[in-house]
Amino acid sequence: MPAPDRRDILCSSTPCSEPAVIWLRDSGQYLCSTHCIQHVENLFARTVEGQRMIAPGDRIAVAFSGGKDSTALLLLLHAALPTWPDVTLLAITVDEGIAGYRDETIHAAVDLTTRIGVEHHIVSFASLFGGDLDALLKGRESRSCTVCGILRRRALTVAARQAGAAKIAVGHNLDDEAQSVLMNLLRGDFPHLVQDAASGEPECFIPRIKPLAGLSEREIVTYLLLTGNYRELPECPYTGYALRSEVRVMLAGLEYRHPGTMKNLISSRDTIRKNTTRVSGQGGVQRCRECGEVCSGEICQVCRILSRPE
Amino acid sequence: MQIILPDRSTRQLDCGPLPIEEILHRFGINPVSIIVTRNGRLVPETACAEEGDEIRIIRVAHGG
Ligand SMILES: [Zn+2]
Ligand SMILES: [Zn+2]
Repeated sequence: MPAPDRRDILCSSTPCSEPAVIWLRDSGQYLCSTHCIQHVENLFARTVEGQRMIAPGDRIAVAFSGGKDSTALLLLLHAALPTWPDVTLLAITVDEGIAGYRDETIHAAVDLTTRIGVEHHIVSFASLFGGDLDALLKGRESRSCTVCGILRRRALTVAARQAGAAKIAVGHNLDDEAQSVLMNLLRGDFPHLVQDAASGEPECFIPRIKPLAGLSEREIVTYLLLTGNYRELPECPYTGYALRSEVRVMLAGLEYRHPGTMKNLISSRDTIRKNTTRVSGQGGVQRCRECGEVCSGEICQVCRILSRPE
Repeated sequence: MQIILPDRSTRQLDCGPLPIEEILHRFGINPVSIIVTRNGRLVPETACAEEGDEIRIIRVAHGG
């Protein structure tokens, strides 16, 4: 414990006179280490309960990359396990085969699941799709995140199904969710704006839950630092969606000048969802002609990527 | 004071006591996308920094 500093700002929880570690811009609260951890755990619990994400007996597959968000997700779910009857966890790490990046994050992932004692499965693009991401991307590097996202989603579904999981928990946080709302609007992508992955329509589709959707990136990283679980890891070498980076910077600017912007954006999306009559996937459930997975056309996105028609 | 930027490069800043938020502005960093430690302890960006402090800025946004 470092020595107190006379310049410390104190926690606004009463009674508490510990030094604050974070200022929550939208509520104006200052929180000390203990109260910040409590705040994060409460927000997590409220999100899970508010949307009834977890039911007794659920076997939950955690999409666990080993990065910041999924590390916090696994820790928070694991800590809350005693509060849910008969719920079990398993972690799934997808090894895309990205040189100079994946090895270290997988190492971190294995360290954590070993330490807390959670069943851990690692699936690789190479074993599922016959090649790693670096090879599959040759000639279309500009679409790296789109291609990777589609394949990763499939890898997770396959691994979760094999493991008998009822749900897949993903680490999307408040910032990610707010960015997605704005991106869908900017692209005119109404179906994705209103589609709720958690409602799990077809019987073969494993519902996804987002227990971190109420937590900002700052709250998550602060939580990891305070609980001794922060680890600096290499960043993915692929550059990401061009639009997402622009939206991220723009939203961060708005959030700074108008605190609460991200939450407002998400609550607008939720209102739109509530008031939208389900545009049920024209013609019901379709299956891919090649692989038999549920999809929206004749051939699924994964098979289209793997056959390289572009 | 010594400033450690998110890319781990360091800068020396010679000035009187000032809010960390002000330092972030000087480097064009949005407080929403970072957290800060002062002499190794996490502090709100509204806290002050002065001569002799080590301010470390940690980026929280991924891929950004
Ligand atoms: Zn406190
Ligand atoms: Zn297919």
